[in-house]
Amino acid sequence: MSEHSKTDVRVRIGPVEFKNPVFLASGICGYGEEYSPLMDIQKLGGIVTKTITPRPRKGNPPPRIHEIPTGALNSIGLENVGLDAYVAEKLPKLAKEKIDVIVSVAAEHIEEFDSIAETFAPLDGYKGVELNLSCPNVEEKALDHGRNPAFVEKLTRVVKNRLVDKAVLVKITPNVTDIGSVARAAEAGGADGISAINTVLGVDFDLATGKPVFFRGSGGYSGPGILPIALQKVWEVSRAVSIPIMGIGGISSVDDARKFFVAGASAVQIGTSLWQDLELPQRIVSEFEQHPEWMKKGEVKT
Amino acid sequence: MIGNTHVTVPGSVPPGRFSSKLLEKRDLSDRYYLLVMSRPPAFDDPGPGTFVHLLVPDGGRFFLRRPFSILGCDEATISLLIVEKGTGTQILRRIPEGTELDFIGPLGSSFPQMPGRTVLAVGGGVGLAPLYFYGTRAVRDDCDRYRLLYGARTRDDLFLDSFEWSVEGIAFATDDGSYGFSGNVVELADEELTRAPADVVFSCGPTPMLEALVELARSRGVPHCVSLENRMACGVGACRSCVVPVSIDGAESYRTVCKDGPVFDAEIIVWNELPRV
Ligand SMILES: Cc1cc2nc3c(=O)[nH]c(=O)nc-3n(C[C@H](O)[C@H](O)[C@H](O)COP(=O)(O)OP(=O)(O)OC[C@H]3O[C@@H](n4cnc5c(N)ncnc54)[C@H](O)[C@@H]3O)c2cc1C
Ligand SMILES: Cc1cc2nc3c(=O)[nH]c(=O)nc-3n(C[C@H](O)[C@H](O)[C@H](O)COP(=O)(O)O)c2cc1C
Ligand code: FES
Repeated sequence: MSEHSKTDVRVRIGPVEFKNPVFLASGICGYGEEYSPLMDIQKLGGIVTKTITPRPRKGNPPPRIHEIPTGALNSIGLENVGLDAYVAEKLPKLAKEKIDVIVSVAAEHIEEFDSIAETFAPLDGYKGVELNLSCPNVEEKALDHGRNPAFVEKLTRVVKNRLVDKAVLVKITPNVTDIGSVARAAEAGGADGISAINTVLGVDFDLATGKPVFFRGSGGYSGPGILPIALQKVWEVSRAVSIPIMGIGGISSVDDARKFFVAGASAVQIGTSLWQDLELPQRIVSEFEQHPEWMKKGEVKT
Repeated sequence: MIGNTHVTVPGSVPPGRFSSKLLEKRDLSDRYYLLVMSRPPAFDDPGPGTFVHLLVPDGGRFFLRRPFSILGCDEATISLLIVEKGTGTQILRRIPEGTELDFIGPLGSSFPQMPGRTVLAVGGGVGLAPLYFYGTRAVRDDCDRYRLLYGARTRDDLFLDSFEWSVEGIAFATDDGSYGFSGNVVELADEELTRAPADVVFSCGPTPMLEALVELARSRGVPHCVSLENRMACGVGACRSCVVPVSIDGAESYRTVCKDGPVFDAEIIVWNELPRV
């Protein structure tokens, strides 16, 4: 890095440019406000806020978190404040703090996605949306949609048509046999980028009761243990599409983040490891500013 | 049942992120130990009931941070009272003095100030920490009279020889009768309330003890503030991992133990749906 100029680590996703390629993943940073006393969120590429749904959701009964030596299983169940409260209370606060926001949304029917997009179309204070088609902690139906390429294509088109000047990302589930076909469907529908991956379906049993640790049975596995799965999926997606990919899953070091770029990603999101290491996102930004060549996709430099 | 009386709990303040040195580590008994760390200058004055979310150092595996209530805090130090439960608290017991500890805090709500009132505080096991902290401050003007009842399994867990108990008006109960009141600390609380009424009950400890106290406080018509535990991830109210069920004016929802709690008005908790941690 030259001494007088700050290196350029901007990343473009569709019509939108972000200041650097490091984001906080949905569900980790809430609606931003919880972490603002603890870190300079403004300095990150942005945050993906907790997935919101058309109406508020109460979420799953506790326990909701279960630690294992390689990460955690969660069963939050998309607890969120709902679309109206998000637009009225959360988004304006984020805009005031100059945090770059990607709004994560989920719904069951195409009509609901359409009406969410209609609500956001005239609003300011966010740079993009991420369609969460991949949460394992809700009804099977919603998740099945995310596995169905025809549905994914149609839904992406409906949303993109309303949000022409925003980045529209589709977050896909790793819990499919052919992730490439789902990613291709999103691209065909006009998606500006793919976010991969959401949590991996997992379960643990309590030997004292012989029952799953969560009421709902299975949960979502995240953290360092899913890194190779996430890299594999991003690698597959990068061979299937030409739009930018946000690599997510198990990042706990700068090198982990670099590996996603090798696999074909253009940006990364940090999730579970933030619970331990609050400096990790900023450290990745700083190191990438020193080594902008790391952002070259698929590059293996020795 | 006389009635469900409510009490207001002071909310959480924005926390900070710190690294500080472990100054002293002292075994108090077989299972209990004390950690004293240096207090970073920017660490806000913590309310009694607040906690720190501590990174387990040298875990060599993925570890969620572990929440510990503040036992004491002066200008130079923050102290924690810890009971060995599993791997995390075993590692913390082994780390050498001088180790840098990474933590977030102070987190969560506190036990309220009760000027001019009488408080009966009931702690079971490691639930002693926040109530002891309150007691060491109550000599100022937090409340008019503070009685603290501490229940443990045996005399050994009262660490009478290894800890300078510097709180007035404390009474002990042991399950095996080896010291103080013989029996359950809730039975002792019942006797105490009969002997001299209190304006409010504070409690922290194992869930069955808290449930018994809810019954007791209700039967006496005394408001009750309780400190709850739950498994935590972020510690700051962002991930919604640590929720407990509450019912407010008939509407059921979830509140986070890390940010809305850990201290709650006992009357809003839906006790029969509380997770067992
Ligand atoms: C707000 C709050 C304040 C706390 N204050 C203190 C304190 O002052 N001193 C203290 O010693 N402990 C305190 N705890 C409990 C402490 O956080 C746990 O005992 C600790 O995290 C266990 O970690 P571990 O790795 O040793 O045990 P693990 O290996 O994680 O678990 C071992 C066993 O402990 C149980 N356990 C784990 N976490 C909890 C928990 N949060 N509550 C109850 N049981 C648990 C597990 O169910 C398991 O059976 C507090 C908890 C909360 C939520
Ligand atoms: C507690 C928790 C809540 C989550 N909530 C959401 C969510 O609301 N929407 C979403 O798209 N992903 C959600 N995720 C998935 C993460 O955004 C991310 O895709 C996943 O955890 C993998 O990354 P990691 O291993 O770095 O955590 C959640 C993950 C966790 C651990
Ligand atoms: S631990 Fe994340 S909300 Fe309480």
